[in-house]
Amino acid sequence: MVSQVQDALMDSFSRVLTKLAIFLPGVVALLLAVVLLALVGAGLAWAIRAALTRFRFDERVGERNSAGVSDWSPAHSPSLLISRVVFWGCVVLGFAIGVSAYDAAGTSDLAPFILPYLAHSVGALIILIAGTILARYLSRSVLISAVNARLNYARALSLGVKWLVLIFTAAMVLDHLEVGGRIVEIGFGILFGGMVLALALAFGLGSRDIVARSMERTAEKATPIDRATERNDTPRSVRHF
Amino acid sequence: MSTTTAATEMRMESQAAGSSVSAQTVICLGPWYADASQDALQSLLEVLQLALGSNAASALIAYPVADPETPSWHHDGLQLQPYQALSKLHTLSVQTAESYLSLFEIMRTHDATCGMLLGAEAHSLSAAAIRGLRDAVVTRNADLAVPRYSLGEHDGLINAALLHPLTRSLFGVRAAFPMALDYALSFRAAERMAMSAQHQTTAGQQDGLLWPTAEAAVSGFTVAEVTCGVRDVPHPSSTDLSEILGTLAASLFTEVETKATFWQRTRPVPPMLSIEGAPIERVPTSPVSPEEISELVESFRIGYGNLHELWSLVLPPQTLLGLKHLSRQPAESFNMPDALWVRVVYDFVLAHRLRTINRGHLLGALTPLYLAWVASHILNSSDGGNPPEALARAFEADKPYLVSRWRWPDRFNP
Repeated sequence: MVSQVQDALMDSFSRVLTKLAIFLPGVVALLLAVVLLALVGAGLAWAIRAALTRFRFDERVGERNSAGVSDWSPAHSPSLLISRVVFWGCVVLGFAIGVSAYDAAGTSDLAPFILPYLAHSVGALIILIAGTILARYLSRSVLISAVNARLNYARALSLGVKWLVLIFTAAMVLDHLEVGGRIVEIGFGILFGGMVLALALAFGLGSRDIVARSMERTAEKATPIDRATERNDTPRSVRHF
Repeated sequence: MSTTTAATEMRMESQAAGSSVSAQTVICLGPWYADASQDALQSLLEVLQLALGSNAASALIAYPVADPETPSWHHDGLQLQPYQALSKLHTLSVQTAESYLSLFEIMRTHDATCGMLLGAEAHSLSAAAIRGLRDAVVTRNADLAVPRYSLGEHDGLINAALLHPLTRSLFGVRAAFPMALDYALSFRAAERMAMSAQHQTTAGQQDGLLWPTAEAAVSGFTVAEVTCGVRDVPHPSSTDLSEILGTLAASLFTEVETKATFWQRTRPVPPMLSIEGAPIERVPTSPVSPEEISELVESFRIGYGNLHELWSLVLPPQTLLGLKHLSRQPAESFNMPDALWVRVVYDFVLAHRLRTINRGHLLGALTPLYLAWVASHILNSSDGGNPPEALARAFEADKPYLVSRWRWPDRFNP
């Protein structure tokens, strides 16, 4: 009996060691690939940033595109944005290579599962970033336009636009990651449709008086550039330009 | 884009070559007079004839046409030369980069020593005003002659609040209207303006705005200010105040950024010639109703309630505190101190340079603050001058703040 227990233990020990011997090189290869590609990415990012700085890329982009890339970039520097994209691209590539190497070590079939998901995750991340930036940009645009049109509910309008875009983005991200399946589609459909219906009802029924009064006030209070010429009923005397 | 510009220049040169007679003065009419008939030009030609007098024979009046085959013609001793229009009508009816390019090309072709740009509704200028602008360049040897129009106290408020004081404090040119409708330029000033215009057109900004007084200051040119009396000012095609303010502020802020190395150094204020063209008139202004003032104040309050977070990205805490106090003032005693408005403008100039937020958003967020200044100006202006002298002095006094923050934007700023 003692010998049987001893055999079982030895077998188990041997199996674990064998698995570890197979598993460890894969993990080391994965880590090595990530670290190596991260180092390559850092080097590339540094070189690209140095080259772009030398060619005054930020200033050129700023001159040609005053409302574009610069505003989205970290520290308002498009060259920093490009160098970071290159760095993280290399890290993701290293991870993909590492996963393949891990599979090649013979432990599992992770690569066919992880690699497409990794690609989807990168896509989803890009959608998330773009959606967040777009939501901020649109909400600010709406807020400023509404304030300059003297709408008292400017902030509510701006928040509405922001959350509409964010919800839309979240639904797209989940759909891209294939999380939730049809629940996301149905949930988004209900939520979005519900919001549109609520707005329609608000305008059509519940808030029609408020909306009418507000629109009337807006039309009355809009600030024309040349008040003297535009408002014949009540003569104005301020001329801005 | 540069090939397009070169092609249009070649077309203009070939068109002008057919009638390249020498002229001492070239008067270039802008796109408002495109394909104008003799009848449409009649009233302007009468004024020009009076203004030029015996010099009419040595003057050339260029007006834009679409058809390159249009022949030149004469009218009571005035020579009219069509040129192919490069520029389109700007929404603000002001001179664009293309206008300066056209003027210089015509001046070069005709060996002119003086070039004049006349803006929309130039027929409302008096002959004395046009003569004064021309004489400033021809007889007083100025490089740039800018008009000083007689305006009502509540007219041209964007100029009074922003354009005049900012250009004066930074570039040291005391001209009342840095963005005028009419100018007279010497050949070298026209050449300089054309160079600057070329930069804009090659960058695809054909309707970009130029700031002649800033260019003159940087180039060390002599500037003359000519009193031009009352003039009809064309209405902008856009009725959106935010758009107009944004267009002008964006152009001026960019100019400030481009010429930062010039204005950061302390220089003696260059002398400016003051020439009397048409006599200065006091334009009667009708009183502004309390309802109008309340609307202006209300616009600011709505802005304060909604844009506070956005402003806090641009303005330092002390300025925000000032705006907070301002938002609590009743409309009847609403008073925005000059120092507060100066800080607001300087901080917006800095934010424009640093791209703290999107530039379109930044300029849009300036509108409620500008309306607050307008309300305060209407209620409290006492000197009656347009543009107000006290505000210009406040801008000059606080210039070290802008210079300091321009150089060290990250330094602690309470």
